[in-house]
Parts: sequence; C-alpha cells; structure tokens
Amino acid sequence: MTANFFRLMVFIARRERIASSIWIAALVLSSVGLAALYPGLFPDQAALDAMATTLNTPAMTALMGPVYGLGQLTPAMAFAQQCLAWFAIAAAIMNIFFVIRHTRADEELGRQDMLAALPVGKLATATAVLLSALILNGVVALLSWALLLAVGVEGTTAAGAAVYALSAGLQGVLFAAVALLAAQLLSTARAAAGLSFALLGLSYLARAQGDMDGDVLSYVSPLGLGLKVEAFYADNLAPLAVLAAEALALAAGALVVNARRDVGAGVIPARPGRKQASRFLRGPLGLAWRLSRNTCLAWAAGLFLLSASYGAVIGQLDSFASDNDMIRQMLEAQGGAASLTEGFIALLCAIMALSATVPVIATVSRWRSEEKRGRLDPVLARAVPRERLFGSFLAVAAAEAVCFPVLTVTGLYAAARPTGLVDLGQLAQAAFVYVPASLAMAGLTALAVGLLPRLASLAWLLLAYSFVAVYFGPLFDLPKWAARLSPFGNVPQLPVQPFAAAPLLALLALAALSAAAGLQGLRRRDIA
Amino acid sequence: MAAVVEIIGLRKKFGSVQALDGIDLTVDPGQVQAFLGPNGAGKTTTIRCLLGLLRASAGEVRLFGRDAWKEAVDLHKRLSYVPGDVSLWDNFTGGEVIDLFLSLHGSKPDRGRRQDYLRRFDLDPAKKCRAYSKGNRQKVALVAALAATSELYVLDEPSSGLDPLLEKVFQDCVHELKEQGKAVLLSSHIMSEVEKLADQVSLIKAGRIVFAGPLEEILRKGKTLEELFLSEYVERTSP
Repeated sequence: MTANFFRLMVFIARRERIASSIWIAALVLSSVGLAALYPGLFPDQAALDAMATTLNTPAMTALMGPVYGLGQLTPAMAFAQQCLAWFAIAAAIMNIFFVIRHTRADEELGRQDMLAALPVGKLATATAVLLSALILNGVVALLSWALLLAVGVEGTTAAGAAVYALSAGLQGVLFAAVALLAAQLLSTARAAAGLSFALLGLSYLARAQGDMDGDVLSYVSPLGLGLKVEAFYADNLAPLAVLAAEALALAAGALVVNARRDVGAGVIPARPGRKQASRFLRGPLGLAWRLSRNTCLAWAAGLFLLSASYGAVIGQLDSFASDNDMIRQMLEAQGGAASLTEGFIALLCAIMALSATVPVIATVSRWRSEEKRGRLDPVLARAVPRERLFGSFLAVAAAEAVCFPVLTVTGLYAAARPTGLVDLGQLAQAAFVYVPASLAMAGLTALAVGLLPRLASLAWLLLAYSFVAVYFGPLFDLPKWAARLSPFGNVPQLPVQPFAAAPLLALLALAALSAAAGLQGLRRRDIA
Repeated sequence: MAAVVEIIGLRKKFGSVQALDGIDLTVDPGQVQAFLGPNGAGKTTTIRCLLGLLRASAGEVRLFGRDAWKEAVDLHKRLSYVPGDVSLWDNFTGGEVIDLFLSLHGSKPDRGRRQDYLRRFDLDPAKKCRAYSKGNRQKVALVAALAATSELYVLDEPSSGLDPLLEKVFQDCVHELKEQGKAVLLSSHIMSEVEKLADQVSLIKAGRIVFAGPLEEILRKGKTLEELFLSEYVERTSP
C-alpha cells in the first residue's frame, strides 16, 4: 500500500525546498525574536506582575490564553503565555497549506493520476506527506528549542523550551492530520483547505470561550490543550501525549478513508454549481466582483472580528498602558496630551485602514494575475474594451475602500459600547478619514498595473512600508518625512490631531490622476 | 497468449450517476486497440478503472490476468500511461519530471533512450514546466511513458496539442511498439490517426460499448471511420 513512498518523500522535499525553508525560518525566527524582546519590555518584577494582572481579565484571557504562575512570573513564562498560542496557529496554517498542496491540490489538477499510474502504493502519497509533515514540524520544534536556549531569556529552562517547542510542533502535526482527513473527504483543494481552516478557527473560539469560563472547552480544543503545558512553570507532559494521540487517530482515519476511495473523488460529493450565470455576473463589473468576492468577504469578516476584539479591550486600556512603557510610548506618540483612549482609537483606525487596503490592492492587482495566466485574453477577445474591464476592477476596489471602515466602526463600537468610552461620531470620523489614502493606494496600484506591469507588486511593498512607518515610526523616532512618503502618513490622525482638508483632497487627486494614468497606459500596452 | 487487458461487464457508478454500464474490452499483445467515443461517454473513466484509480462498482478489470485494483502497484511496473490533459509541477523542469516518472516506474535508467525520445519529440528538458505550452507538457508525458520499458501503453488522447510533424513522430513510435509486440490502448478523437494505427476499434456511447471489431472490416465495407462514428452518434431523424 505504501510502495515507493520514500521516493515520493524525496520528491516532496525537492518541491518544498524553498517554500518550507521560508516557513521554517519565518516561524522560528519570529517566535524566538519575540522571546528576545521580553526582558526589554518587562525590565523588572513589578512590570511583569502588572502585565499579568491586566492579562488576567476575561477579555484578555479570551484573546491571549490563560495566565499561570501569578506571583512567580519570569520573562520566559510571560513570553510562553502570550506567544505559544500564536506560534501554534502559525504552525497549523503552515501544515494545512503543506498537506493540501501535496494531496488534494495535486489530485484536483490530475497530476496524481500520472503518479498513481506508476508503481506507487495507494497510500504512498498520504504516508509520504504525513512523514514529511512530521519532519517539517520536527525541524521547527528542534530549531525553536535550540534557539530559545541560545537566547536564554531569564527563566528559560531546557525542559520548558522543550515543552514549548513540542506543543507547537505537535499542534502542527495535528492540523496536518486534520488537513489530510479533509483532503480525503472533500473533492477540491479549496474546500479541503476551507474545512481545515474552519476547524482551526473553531478551535480558537472554543479555547477563548473555555479559557474565559475555565471550563472543559479549552481541553477539547487543540489550541487550548496546547497551552496547558504551562511552559517554563509546570512543564506538563500529559497535554503533549494527548495531542500526539489525537494526531495519530486522525491520521489513521485519513489513511483508512484514502485506501478505500477512488483517486480524484471525495467522500462528500462536490456541490453542483449554478447552471446559468446570474444576471449580475453577465458583465465586466460582475466578473470583477466575482473574482474579488471571496478575498473581500474573508477580509471583511476578519476585520470585523479584529475590530470587535480590540473594542473589547478598550476598557482595560488605562491599567494596561500605564504599566507598559512600550505601549504607553506608542500611544503618547500618537496622542500627545490627549487621553489614552483617543490615542488608542487613532492608532487602531490607522492599523485597520492599512489592513483594509489589502483587499483593495488585491482587487486592482487581480488584473495582473489574471493577465499573466492568460485568462483575460478570452474576455478581451469579446466586445469588451480594456478600459471598461479594468475600470470595473477599479470600481470594485473603490467600493471596498469606502465600505471597509463601516466594519471597523461597527465592530469596535459594538464591543466597546458598554464601557461608555467611545463616541460613535468621533470613531466614524477617525475611521473614514483614511478612505482617501486607501483610494490613493488603489490608484497607485492601477498606475503600476497600467504602466509598469512587471513591477505591479511594488504596491504591496508600499503598503508594507506604510505599516512600518505609521505603526513603528513614532516608536523608533523615525523622521517625520519617513511617514509622509506613504499616503497613510499624510492623513490627519483623528481624534488626536486636528482635521485638515488639504491633505485629503491631495490624496483624492493623487488617486484620480494615477488611476487615469494607469488606464491610459493599459490602453497602449500589450496584454501579456 | 493471454490478453494484456481484459475488461468484462465493467460498471461504475458515481453517486446516482451510472457512468459505465457494462464495458467489455480486450487488448492482446502486439495489438493497438482504439477506444473512441464522444466527450463524456466514459473513455477516461474506463481507463482510470484500468489503472486502479477508480474501483469498479461491478464487473472485472484484469491486466495480465490480475486484478487491476488490488494489484495496481505490481501491474503498474508493466505499463506506461499518458493522460490527455497533462498538468505538471510549475517549479520543475521537464527533464526532472521525466526522471521522476522513470525512477518511480522502476525501469532501469536508459539515458540513450530518454535522449533519443527527447530528440525525436524536439523537447527542451531544461525549461520549467510553468513555461511549457500544452503541446510541450504533452511531450513531457509522452517521453516519460515511451522511455520506460513496458508491455502495455495506455494512451488517453495522447496527441492532443501536437503539431502535424510531431503527430507523425508519435505515430511512428506507436508502430514501433506494435512491432515489438507491445499492447497499446489508444483513446483518441483524431480519426485519421486511428485509421493509421489501430487494429481493433471499440466505440463507447453513454457508458456502453456500441461497436467493437477489427478496423479492416469497417474499411472493407467501404466506410470510413468517421462515417461509422457519425452514424453511431448523430441522432437519427427518420423513424
């Protein structure tokens, strides 16, 4: 059943040499890098204890996970409490992508047929993918362990670093098994990945609920269970054993299903699609929306949840920030003399506007990715002018830029209303003031797509730069002009800064001019 | 001599859809069996059952006298397969994919033969698969299949996307296989190709074989293959 699986593992390793190396480096370095920051963030015991008191509230517990070892906190413990859950989620995401890429995605594209027509066992692919995932997570865990010890934050122990790394690694393996099972059940890669991510999200929600109420849900959720190791404090091994057993059971289930089913088929049949295009799809605008829809809706849901969770912590803000130098410095840089809450709202609206610009840029650059795959040729071969088709993408992007602040405002306000600290009108102004900046980003992306198609991804670079300049600029004392280079750095940060119309009008003009130039460029250049 | 492919009363159901409804098909050594039918009639489903990718709902599928589903791995050492729509891994070169397939097949590496087919099909093996056109991806699959030593060649619309020159090369290759006593199952839409290559012809319609017989017999009756094909599939208007 597993004939030739070793050769397939070598094949997977070759296919993965770049993607997985990047994942491993990003996961390990960001996790260990955060650990290195902790002694600076919390220089003494008083700072640690104050932080723990803030975190030991229901809202923060739901967000970050439970606090343990109150009164005996070390920087290493604080790091593990706040970072293990995120490390594990990142590892789970890596594993879901990894497994789906090598199972259902290959099957859906028909590549698996060519492999399966060779003397390769029915379970060879699944076995090879599972063992490769095991190695991948093993490498992540081992490197994290070694580097955590090398960094040696106060309170670090070999055993604590080991349970920390193993907990994340085993959760990764568990979600690899979840994805493998999903890949057996559903017949498309998208659906299988969707089911896996839904289970990951559910696992996070169950942990949040369970940790808040201290009930059994946090043991049912793998993410909750993974935190029960209490790294650098109790160093429990039992949760690791349970995680391993769960992963093993899921993997075995996936293999059993795999051995019985047809190649290319799922256990749950694919839902039949529409027989006819809806009335709305029958035009360039409908096409542009349809191609952007999924990304747009996913970001909308994510932004709303993120805004709501930030809204929930607004009440604890004063006590939190007064004990944390870094956060206070950041907020004061935003607000100066204004209240912490107002500074927080200004900062939050900036971050949300930056995040909301991701789908906006994605919609405009969608033209480029469709073009590269040759999918625009059959559309443009019909009676559709380029300007009209590209204009449709721009219209969808503009609509996104205008609508996303609504989600930020409603999410934040709904969660923060009980505290009575947030004024709806003030919040709405603070959020919507960024719309011209988002539009300018859409225009600049259009400019790149129209005039410099090969460099169209520069728009993402500008967004990343904007994030660094706006978010970290005040913290690192970057010069003022550094932020001005980004459209977002020119927006008056309401409510802490006074309103100014001139920069907003300039941004709108930039948006219109660059979009027009992009359209002109597109009319003249080759579609390739 | 025993038949290489022996399919008896094969049925396959997908949920409530009866995709194959009693297929009989044999291929003997040294024989080219053409497998014709319109899109969606069940050609590829039959071939995927033959490769043990799909499990038959009823009936027998035997390769070299052995069960195609249960003994798939062993049987696959003796056959080569070319799919009609070849999808490859973007960041691999054509040469890398060919070597992977050859090494998985387990046939002993024969650089000369691989080189020979690369030259005949005029394929640059150093290009990444993402840069290949449909025809070039098809060539990768053909070279990987032909360079392996097999007794049965399962070719599912193998020449789609090839230009007339390469179509000729492909036909020469199939003739050579026949002379070497190999069995070939050829599914195709190109009637002229089938008339040049096939010994036997089977027509499939809505999951059933509606015609099976030697090509010579059809041609002797003064019909072309295309006439036979159209007469089977075009709805008759007269009662």
